[in-house]
Amino acid sequence: MSDPTRPDDPAFEEQDELLAAEYVLGTLPGAERARVRQRAEVDGAFAALIRTWEARLAPLNDSYDDAPAPDLLPQIEARLFADLDAAPSQPARRGWFGLGWIGAGAISAVLAAVAVFFVLTFTPPGPAPAILQAELSTEDADLRFAARFDSSTGLLEISRAAGDAAPTGQDYELWAIDAEGVPRSLGLLRAPLEQVQTALVAGITLAVSLEPEGGSPEPAPTGPVLAVAALAEI
Amino acid sequence: MRASPFPGLQTGFPGDRPETAFRTGQLHLTEVTLHLLLQKVAREDRAAFREVYRISAPKLTGVLTRMLRDRTEVEDALQDVYIRVWQRAAQFDSARGAAMGWLVTIARNAALDRLRARPEARGLTQATARADMAEDDPVARLPAPGPGAEAQMQARDVARRIVACFGELEDDRAAAIRGAYLQGFSYQELAERHDVPLNTMRTWLRRGLLRLKECLDR
Repeated sequence: MSDPTRPDDPAFEEQDELLAAEYVLGTLPGAERARVRQRAEVDGAFAALIRTWEARLAPLNDSYDDAPAPDLLPQIEARLFADLDAAPSQPARRGWFGLGWIGAGAISAVLAAVAVFFVLTFTPPGPAPAILQAELSTEDADLRFAARFDSSTGLLEISRAAGDAAPTGQDYELWAIDAEGVPRSLGLLRAPLEQVQTALVAGITLAVSLEPEGGSPEPAPTGPVLAVAALAEI
Repeated sequence: MRASPFPGLQTGFPGDRPETAFRTGQLHLTEVTLHLLLQKVAREDRAAFREVYRISAPKLTGVLTRMLRDRTEVEDALQDVYIRVWQRAAQFDSARGAAMGWLVTIARNAALDRLRARPEARGLTQATARADMAEDDPVARLPAPGPGAEAQMQARDVARRIVACFGELEDDRAAAIRGAYLQGFSYQELAERHDVPLNTMRTWLRRGLLRLKECLDR
């Protein structure tokens, strides 16, 4: 029998694990719930325990059925945007997410400056060919694809960087999904390296789904979407 | 078929389609679309935000209704949830989990905060209105095994694991954990429903959770 007052008691370590589990499960009383949340904001290791429990119990979410949703968008947008719309030109009144804008703006400015520098320094005369890339990976990274698109040739190359070919009787299918969420099949991924002649632009999302042999019978994925990533300029 | 908690609000939504295979395809497409839309919401794209609402509000209304069981409160909570979605979209990390899962977590937390803020008012409505625990069995939600269902089954690998792990627990403890997660029952409510002392219930759940973890991480 171990002494429960000793800090190296394994039960001591278990307390955080259980607290995170009870928080995610939702059984903690209100005051304790609030304390756990405050701690998670400053304690990264503890926050990670909570996220892991969220992932463990997430399959239960399938048990929630859809219900008819009231259209509350007008009220929600009024609450969110009333201040912004009243004073669109005053960044100081944008609230905390105004900082995000400044940050994003600064990053874009730096990226633009870097891009201009590269274009000015290294680009031969003529239109600059854009290379777009995306790395598609499953959640556990057991299966990874690297995609590279050269806009000057219209050639998309996609290689399987990790993982095996699709199981017998099934195929991996590659999709391009536009900004409206409409998928377009780019073909099957059978070989470790596949090449597709196509037209793509930055911001388009590539997705790999697992389909019956020969590909999806529908104009959209019917099997699970295993990996998703946006094509971005390098 | 479970009766709608809001009989006056039968407007009909997509997702009521009976063909399972098609629905499954739709669901995966929904997930991909939500990923994209949330990335746009993070850049303060209001049109994308409206689209996120259109796609996900039925599911989140389902979550809030199951937990709160009060129409007015569901509507208030739904507003709070989407305000948080707008404010936190930049924190959505697609590498870490599903988009719909992220939204459901926000909805569950909003419901739990409300439930825990009204300690005594719940007892009456729940004892009468919540007889649906038996329907919570996730096994029943899995697609029937058979030719052609293989791909879906593979996608449901994680779900099957949690079902198997729940199966290793005693029935009443598994039911208590599901009731807590899906309906937001407190220890007090669970103790009353299962007719055991509160401390016994807490011990049940804590042991159950640790066994669940051990099984899922195996």
